[in-house]
Order: sequence, then C-alpha cells, then structure tokens
Amino acid sequence: MELNTKRFGIIKIDPEEIINFTQGIYGFEDYHRYVIINHKDSIFSFLQSVDESWLSFVIVMPELLQPDYQVALEAKYVKELELEDSSEGQVYVILTIPERIAEMTANLQAPLVINKKRRTARQVILMDGKYQTRHNVFTEKQRSAYEKQAQKRAKAN
Amino acid sequence: MLVLTRKIDQSIVIGDNIKIIIVDVRGDQVKLGIEAPKDVSVHREEVYEDIQQENRRAVVSRSINIDELNRLLNRSKNGGC
Repeated sequence: MELNTKRFGIIKIDPEEIINFTQGIYGFEDYHRYVIINHKDSIFSFLQSVDESWLSFVIVMPELLQPDYQVALEAKYVKELELEDSSEGQVYVILTIPERIAEMTANLQAPLVINKKRRTARQVILMDGKYQTRHNVFTEKQRSAYEKQAQKRAKAN
Repeated sequence: MLVLTRKIDQSIVIGDNIKIIIVDVRGDQVKLGIEAPKDVSVHREEVYEDIQQENRRAVVSRSINIDELNRLLNRSKNGGC
C-alpha cells in the first residue's frame, strides 16, 4: 500500500509491516498505526505514523547506545502485549534531536516495546528510577568538541 | 470530578479492585497508599506529563540528516572528533 509521509514523500509499505500501538504513544493517543522505516547503514530508524503524514519519530535500539540497558517489563505489560517470552519483544527508544544534534537525547525511561509476532506495541514507563527521559547520547566532552567544530565551520563560511 | 474528603487511615475504592488509602498527612503533603492489581499502571501525573511532553518534542519537525547523525556517532565511537 502507499503511504504519504512528510519526511519521505509517498512510499510503498507492506501492510503486514504495520505495527498497532493499542494505546497510541503518550501525547499522541489517537494515532495507533505505525511502520518502521530503516535507514541503510544506520542504527537510526524512523517510526512513521500510517494515519498522519507529519507524525514520525527517530528511534534506535537502546542497547546500541547503552549496552547494559535492560527493560524489566512489569507483568501488566507482558500480559497486555501477549509476550510469551522475552525474545518475542523488540525494544526501541525515541530520540529527541534538537538543532544542535550533538545535544540529542534518548528517552530511556519510556521505551517502545513491540511484539514482533503479533505486530502490537506500546510505550511503557519504567519506574525503577534507573533511566532518564532525556539521556544524553553524547558525553559533555563530545558535545563541546562538536560545538567547537561547528563554530569553526561557521567562521570558515 | 468526584471530590471526597477523607481522614488519615480512611480509604476510597475505585471499581472492584483499586483502593486508595490516606496513609499520612503532614503540612501540604499527603501520603497515599495504592492497592491495585498488577495489570493496572499507577504513576504520578508529572511522569505522564513529562513523557507526553518529551514525545511531542521528539516529533520529527525538520529534515534530519541521518548521514550526519551516523558520522557524529561513528566519530564519537572512535574517540576523536
């Protein structure tokens, strides 16, 4: 089927790929259907709404940013998502990318959990206080180095 | 909205199996105990609001250059800039 998107224009998707967020995503509770658009050679993907062309998020598998990231899914989520075992679940986190991209953050506190087999998903809230809503992807050192480089480039232009 | 006044140790029952107990009141702080089945989420409202707000900020609103993101990530992996 064809999908109209703001970011990619009109794209072709396989309806079998559509993921149903039964409760939507917090702040966007009315929109349930999404597809994941992977970018070649990149760990970053897009979560594109099937229902609204302007609605998309940049997502990433959190263990690629933080290898020891672990989602201890509460029983209520396991039940709701009908996960029979943890290998059926796929976890992504939403990234917030500001103008200064080195300042980008990952929402580690509220990951997206997808049941790969059933193509259902939801955003869960982790309550163990271990993870932040705005986790800096880059260290302070990396961010200031990027900033210095950006300033140099701006001066050169 | 239903508004009920309770004293310490009194409680409110919601539905068949959610109970809210007033555990303590000190100054402007109220300590609440919540008994709910495992399949019901219970969160402070600010947590929901924070996540809603962050999701809204995360919506892709301009052209994100994935290649630039990759370069930045790879550079930082290699330690240098």
